[in-house]
Amino acid sequence: MSAASEARAHPPLRTVRAGGVSFRLNLRTLGLVGLAAAALFALAAWSLTLGSFPIPLEGVLRAVLGRGSEDHEFIVRTLRLPRLLSALMVGAALAMSGAIFQGLVRNPLVSPDIIGINQGATLVAVFWIVTGQGRTTLAPVAFAGAVAAALAVYLLSWRGGVAPNRLVLVGIGLNAALAAGTTYLLVRFPIEQVGAAVAWSAGSVYASTWSDVTTLGAALAILTPAAMVLMWHLRILQFGDDTATSLGLPVEATRLTLVLVGCGFSAIAVGLAGPIGFVALMVPHVARMLAGAMTASVLVLTALLGAIMLLASDVVGQYFLPVTLPVGVITAVVGAPYFLFLLYRSNVRL
Amino acid sequence: MTATLPAPASEPPPDTLHALDDLDVLSRLSARGLTLAYDGPEIVHDLSVDLPDGQITTIIGPNGCGKSTLLRALGRLLRPRRGAALLDGEAVHRQPTKEVARRLGLLPQGAAAPDAITVEDLVRRGRYPHQAMFSPPTDRDRIAIDRAITLARVDDLRDRSVDELSGGQRQRAWIAMTLAQETPILLLDEPTTYLDIAHQQEVLDLVQRLNRNEGKTVAMVLHDVNEAARVSDHVVAMRDGRIVAQGTPAEVVRPEILARVFGIATEVVAHPRTGAPICVPLGAPALPEGNPGAEAASMLPRPCRLCAVDATLAYDRCVVAERLSVEVPDGAITAIVGPNACGKSTLLRALARLLKPSAGGSFLDGEPLHRARRRALAQCLGLLPQAPVAPVDVTVADLVAGGRTPHQRWYRQWSAEDERAVEAALATTHTADLRHRTTDALSGGQRQRAFLGMALARQTPIMLLDEPTTFLDIAHQVEVLDLVRALNRDEGRTVVMVLHDLSQACRYADHLVVMHQGRVVATGSPREVVTPALVRDVFGVEAAVVTDARTGRPLVLPYSLEDLRGVGRG
Repeated sequence: MSAASEARAHPPLRTVRAGGVSFRLNLRTLGLVGLAAAALFALAAWSLTLGSFPIPLEGVLRAVLGRGSEDHEFIVRTLRLPRLLSALMVGAALAMSGAIFQGLVRNPLVSPDIIGINQGATLVAVFWIVTGQGRTTLAPVAFAGAVAAALAVYLLSWRGGVAPNRLVLVGIGLNAALAAGTTYLLVRFPIEQVGAAVAWSAGSVYASTWSDVTTLGAALAILTPAAMVLMWHLRILQFGDDTATSLGLPVEATRLTLVLVGCGFSAIAVGLAGPIGFVALMVPHVARMLAGAMTASVLVLTALLGAIMLLASDVVGQYFLPVTLPVGVITAVVGAPYFLFLLYRSNVRL
Repeated sequence: MTATLPAPASEPPPDTLHALDDLDVLSRLSARGLTLAYDGPEIVHDLSVDLPDGQITTIIGPNGCGKSTLLRALGRLLRPRRGAALLDGEAVHRQPTKEVARRLGLLPQGAAAPDAITVEDLVRRGRYPHQAMFSPPTDRDRIAIDRAITLARVDDLRDRSVDELSGGQRQRAWIAMTLAQETPILLLDEPTTYLDIAHQQEVLDLVQRLNRNEGKTVAMVLHDVNEAARVSDHVVAMRDGRIVAQGTPAEVVRPEILARVFGIATEVVAHPRTGAPICVPLGAPALPEGNPGAEAASMLPRPCRLCAVDATLAYDRCVVAERLSVEVPDGAITAIVGPNACGKSTLLRALARLLKPSAGGSFLDGEPLHRARRRALAQCLGLLPQAPVAPVDVTVADLVAGGRTPHQRWYRQWSAEDERAVEAALATTHTADLRHRTTDALSGGQRQRAFLGMALARQTPIMLLDEPTTFLDIAHQVEVLDLVRALNRDEGRTVVMVLHDLSQACRYADHLVVMHQGRVVATGSPREVVTPALVRDVFGVEAAVVTDARTGRPLVLPYSLEDLRGVGRG
């Protein structure tokens, strides 16, 4: 048994009690959260120094605080910072969405990109682009597409209750249908508009603005605490419907809330950045391999790791390749081998 | 080490009480110095055994003692680490599969058939070892299939799909498939598990007929000692991968040997009709003679908090039980018993609010369950479902803590009271040592105790347990039921449990609810209710009912006409 799994098996727990509030904190997970946050901060600061106009770290920090030179401030605050923050938040949202769906369906292979939610956003967004509608409305429209797809999956799998396995199968079916619709649009419309749509569907945070950052930030500020609270309910749900019902949990209502929050995360990310694959599938597994069963604090770790992964992929795609690639391509290229490596090395139970 | 060489005949281990007395006994299938393991540690250590030809040999032992592993090695499914399983003097895993399959048929535990295959198709597959590729079935195949179907008495099920058969029918269909192989030797791994008493009888009768009329050599794993004693000529008792004792049932089924094999105290009595030894676990602490309030429980009018009144229970419009009325006496242990599919688990689900009666209702303290507040109800009614699930990465401590949910909020996840209740539940169920283990690393008995701990940590005055002893060997069954009784006697909790073993129900329950085809056919104390006529009418088996001198409770001792024929022969 490795040291990591040993520590997982005997977690250093601290109990915190104050009045009617009480929690158990896993110090090891909190330590990992701290490490991930520090790594994310360092990576973010470093990434701001990169670009066709390199700025030293000191200059970056000054510029962020509003005390740098004018051109530094313009480059950092107007050009680089929105893109950086978008990448962070999109990564965090995708990772948390994956964690919720994997826990809900008790299936390690599930993520919002597999059960049709990303594809719903893509179909609507592609339609929006090829028919020449305005780019400013693209994000909310894609968001609506994701939510519509999620609701369709949920309603189609309803049989007096939603069986998780049925939800997955219905999702995969709907995903195929939506993908076919997207392909039809791409074949049917003139090539110049189709080109823009294809570029969007590769997934990128290239065009992010401060208004995108505000939207994302507001959504995350609502959804993240909700998701952390729901982790407690999710754990009970995982004991099976009978036990959960008998423990007093309103099973269907909890499940619907989890689906909505999971979709919310996925939809805001896809609406802004296009369908970025692999983060939602992979990052929750990485977090669980590091920190054990999914709890609120492991969810935070998941979010931080998702942010690190997307930011790192964006940096690589932007600066370290002969051609600039959208981040969605990099997540798949970097993520897939790393994921296989982890699966091969780790004896973690999926 | 070459596996073909039989290990030199070693001295019998000192703890082998009864090696085969008659060394001349003929045995086509045997094991020499067999050491078996899957990926991990050794499960069977240097084991040698002979399966006497033309006899029924039964392997018994606690969960995890290696009995199924041994059978798998004998059946060529597992390659030994050292030593060999010998078929006609040659190591089985050195012989081609088809060659072995013509001499030895193996029915694995919980065999799975593709959906919607008919019984006849299933049986036809048994002919595989006798067929060449692309050749059409010969007359001999057809005769063998017909004969197997007749022998296993599945003629009337021939064209039925396997997945719609009852447990007993399905097991007979599988045995028919093994029979179509026309092998002189049959290996059966727990052929009676999951079956109710009548279906168990049905399968064991078939095994006995095959042995007596067809001269088949049978080796099987059974987890019920009394079944083993009833049907076998030769019993092999294992513990921790070694043979503790072997011999005739009378030689092996003795209290001192059972104590060493299962680690529990038992009393052995002779069956009044067949004379076969019957072991009666004493449990700990044994109930004193006379009746400590228990028997009186159902005589006195007791208050009743939980009841079902005129309840009609149905899944999707498929009605399981109609107009069912049951009262649960407060502070007593109630057992719901009946054959498979009689609606007993459905009744428990209705009492647990998992199933809403389509007519009538279930009530707690006079209030319909479906109008009660979720949390209040969850704090009052605890439930252990039949096959509880848990995520694989959950530890025992977290699982037991999950039982505290009705007392918690998301912002109050670990109060001092939660901690006390969880520690108490871990201690009571003897799972404190396992607290950091994840649920997938537990044995069946440990797992069941952990889930019982979860139900305990809820500290509900009423506990509903659905088949808490299924999947457990006799020692773990006694352990769990003793624990349930202690909870009732020491803490005054009301217990309702579904049990499929009538003897256990008689031993532990104060109040029996006997169900048959969706109706309650009898209620009352075990002594009032259990008679040979009731066992015959409800379970469809013949049984002698005697009074256990120690507890004053009835003992149900089933037998079949096949057994009586065996007595005549002996």
